[in-house]
Amino acid sequence: MSRRLLTYLCIDTSGSMNGEPIVAVNAGLQALLGSLRSNPYALDSVHLSITTFDSEIKEVLPMTAVADVMLPEITCPKSGATLLGAALEHICEQTKRDVRKSTSTEKGDWKPILVILTDGKPTDTLAYTEVIPQLKACNFATIVACAAGPRADPNQLKRLTDHVVSLDTMDAAGFSKFFQWVSETFSKDSQSRGATSSVELPPPPAELNIVL
Amino acid sequence: MTKIVTLKASDGSTVQFIDEIKAQGGVKDVMFSPDGGYVVAFFREKADPATRERLLEITGRYREGILNQKGGEYLRNLYCWPTAVVEHENRLGVVVPFYRSCFFFEHGSPNNDMLGIRKKEKVGKWFATPGLRARRLDQRELGDWMRHLKVCLMLARAVRRMHMAGLSHSDLGYNNCLIDPVTGQACLIDLDGLVVPGRHHPTVIGTPGFIAPEVVKTARLPKEDPKRILPSQATDRHALAVLIYTYLLYRHPLDGGKVHDVNDSLRDDELMMGANALFVEHPQDRSNRIKAGNAKAFELPWKDTDRLPYTVTGPYLSKLFQESFVDGLHHPAKRPAAGDWETALVKTVDLLQPCTNPSCEQKWYPFDNKCQPTCPFCGTPHRGKLPVLNLYSSHAKGKFMPDGHRVMVYSGQSLFRWHENRFISPDEKLSADDARRVGYFVEHQGNWYLVNERLNGMRDVRSSQDIPVGGKTLLDEGAQILLSPEHGGRLLVVQMAGS
Repeated sequence: MSRRLLTYLCIDTSGSMNGEPIVAVNAGLQALLGSLRSNPYALDSVHLSITTFDSEIKEVLPMTAVADVMLPEITCPKSGATLLGAALEHICEQTKRDVRKSTSTEKGDWKPILVILTDGKPTDTLAYTEVIPQLKACNFATIVACAAGPRADPNQLKRLTDHVVSLDTMDAAGFSKFFQWVSETFSKDSQSRGATSSVELPPPPAELNIVL
Repeated sequence: MTKIVTLKASDGSTVQFIDEIKAQGGVKDVMFSPDGGYVVAFFREKADPATRERLLEITGRYREGILNQKGGEYLRNLYCWPTAVVEHENRLGVVVPFYRSCFFFEHGSPNNDMLGIRKKEKVGKWFATPGLRARRLDQRELGDWMRHLKVCLMLARAVRRMHMAGLSHSDLGYNNCLIDPVTGQACLIDLDGLVVPGRHHPTVIGTPGFIAPEVVKTARLPKEDPKRILPSQATDRHALAVLIYTYLLYRHPLDGGKVHDVNDSLRDDELMMGANALFVEHPQDRSNRIKAGNAKAFELPWKDTDRLPYTVTGPYLSKLFQESFVDGLHHPAKRPAAGDWETALVKTVDLLQPCTNPSCEQKWYPFDNKCQPTCPFCGTPHRGKLPVLNLYSSHAKGKFMPDGHRVMVYSGQSLFRWHENRFISPDEKLSADDARRVGYFVEHQGNWYLVNERLNGMRDVRSSQDIPVGGKTLLDEGAQILLSPEHGGRLLVVQMAGS
């Protein structure tokens, strides 16, 4: 068995995402999948799972190899909470279930990747605070968080990861840039390594702002 | 609204590009020219004098040194060499010819190109991964084993010529050579990172999987540390050997079953490709064998090194694989040079036999020196008589020495000038006239004959009969056929295999 690169996409479907934003997210996911499918390295290793969160947590796509993924249409209710904490608890459980660990005789999976996209702030703040150490223990290679639109709170996301990307607008152009950036993180392993720099994410596109 | 930018390039030409990023590499953004004839690749880092000087030399002196010499016309097809340097908004760019159309997928993936890869670049990884070959590519894209061998030959030739000029590529890998297994062509791209030893230092250490063990092992040392090892011709030789192995056997020579670090998969890979690198087919140390029992059906026989050992590539390549991955893996000086690969590949083309199984995906296999040869890929035995021509050449009058070169006979096989005389080699310097065949083989009522088309000194030695142009001679056990009486002229000694 070759190593798999498990990727968890965790997407906000709270009421405020309704309308143009969720349409743009669906389009962005299609583009991400298209780009992964035309990348022979990704086809050989990347697996995707999508979990949505509003007042409910739904695993709308269980872990599937990119070539076999049938993307579900992601919808959101008219209103609802933003249970990001509960969603991340679910992700922790998933990684325990999915990630194959190395043994002395068998190679396990790569460290997984987590991508979070939200346009608000967690309403289950206690659960959110409690899940952070658990999430760190899950040993993700990278956690990328996207704070979309004016109501998103990048500072909450900064508690999870250094890779927080802020989108000023929640339109198709913004999301497509974000997903393009995500897809580039998958190709970095197959690209040339610089002689001086360490292994890191590719530079984000100019239109996004990185929160410092 | 995208605008068109017009610039004056370093060679005085006018360069135009559409100001829209069409593709991104590790360090560059790529823009297209309005007519699609070339691209302009801009480095994302700000222009600096050292890079400018290096790029000017690559597009100027080194380019002319290789492409404007004898054989340059041929070599133009092996490289996508940048032609000029431009500067725009304080960034440096190189003007690069557009890739030839054979390097873009024509059919792409199955089911009406479900993956949407039609018109995308043919990156080597597609063709060297059994799962992608079996399930993700349209079968018309795969080519056959002879074309794969030719792809390797083109790569070895391109690297050899570059090394002759004192340059090293420093980043050979799947992404930097486009290959076309349908026609057997290959082309080195991204040549703006070329390294001149002692003058221009490498800016990249290579692409994971193709970086030499000594470079991986010391990659964490500061660049100034004298123990740090950076890319060179010796590391190119490692990368070339890995490319050839993967294109012929669809598996990686170092990516085996041994676990080096249970807790950290990145560290595990680093040890596998670096300090602890071990050939998956090491003759004594079996600890890194690929676990064939875990392989999926479509990964076989490729992942089963007992069933399909590297020795199926024939004696000439086997020797070089041994030197690359056993003797030279941790001893760079012992690695075979690109020219050695080129010679071995040319000779291996002559060892090929067509497989008689019409559904064999590889369609060709190198002769295994058995009396009853069998296709190692699909297991189909050869049918009929199989003449094997052993090449000898004259070293002194009447004294012929074996050249360690055999030609297998099959319908459609030809003899060329480089078979006639050992001083002629089939490389970029060969004239068009010398590239034409001089004889061919034909089977008639179960017997094989060699037909002379252009050899004026051909002679059957046993019967002392000249074989004129247009004449033919029977190939039977022990037959001796002189192709040319000149110095270096070849003598064929026939052995019969098959039934």
